[in-house]
Amino acid sequence: MNVVSGVLIVAGAALAMIGGIGAVKFRDLYSRMHAAAKAPTLGLVLVAIGAAIAIDTLLAYTTLLLVVILQLLSSPVGAHALSRASRRQTPVALDGPDDLTRDETAAATRLADPTD
Amino acid sequence: MTAFALVLLAVGAAGFLFRLLRGPSLSDRVVGLDGLQSIVVIAIIVAAARSDSGITIETVLVAVLVGFVGTTALSRFIERRGN
Repeated sequence: MNVVSGVLIVAGAALAMIGGIGAVKFRDLYSRMHAAAKAPTLGLVLVAIGAAIAIDTLLAYTTLLLVVILQLLSSPVGAHALSRASRRQTPVALDGPDDLTRDETAAATRLADPTD
Repeated sequence: MTAFALVLLAVGAAGFLFRLLRGPSLSDRVVGLDGLQSIVVIAIIVAAARSDSGITIETVLVAVLVGFVGTTALSRFIERRGN
């Protein structure tokens, strides 16, 4: 294990830790999801690059590449499915104004329409 | 170096575990579970790099796939049943 892989692994682990802190500290569901879905994904990419440098076999290269691709595909899909389901089913307490219930397009076209 | 990384991962796992146990809604628990799965995947990779052997690296694939299926299944469950 050299210095480059060690620094990459520690940086990725620090990103995953930041995701965990965000899941505790943020105040509504979507903010928590924002922290919990994105930061550990980049952390996984950094840790996988560092581990591929450290282990240095063909099996490790291919497996870690596959893991990174799968995580980059599945993490946004899972977060989107979860936020869509909870948005449809439950009135979640939001930290700030709810920009999804106010129809901004309709308000703008009503202003622009002279016959209205 | 990797020991320090494992300590950082333990702190992050404590955060996600807090969210998993505390709630308040079912969606928050799923967020905690998803993050905990990411932490476990990263920890397996770090442990493999620590032991300098690629033997345990294939279990990571299974962990990633199981985590994705779990999150998707739980969100379908929430969508059908509510909260």
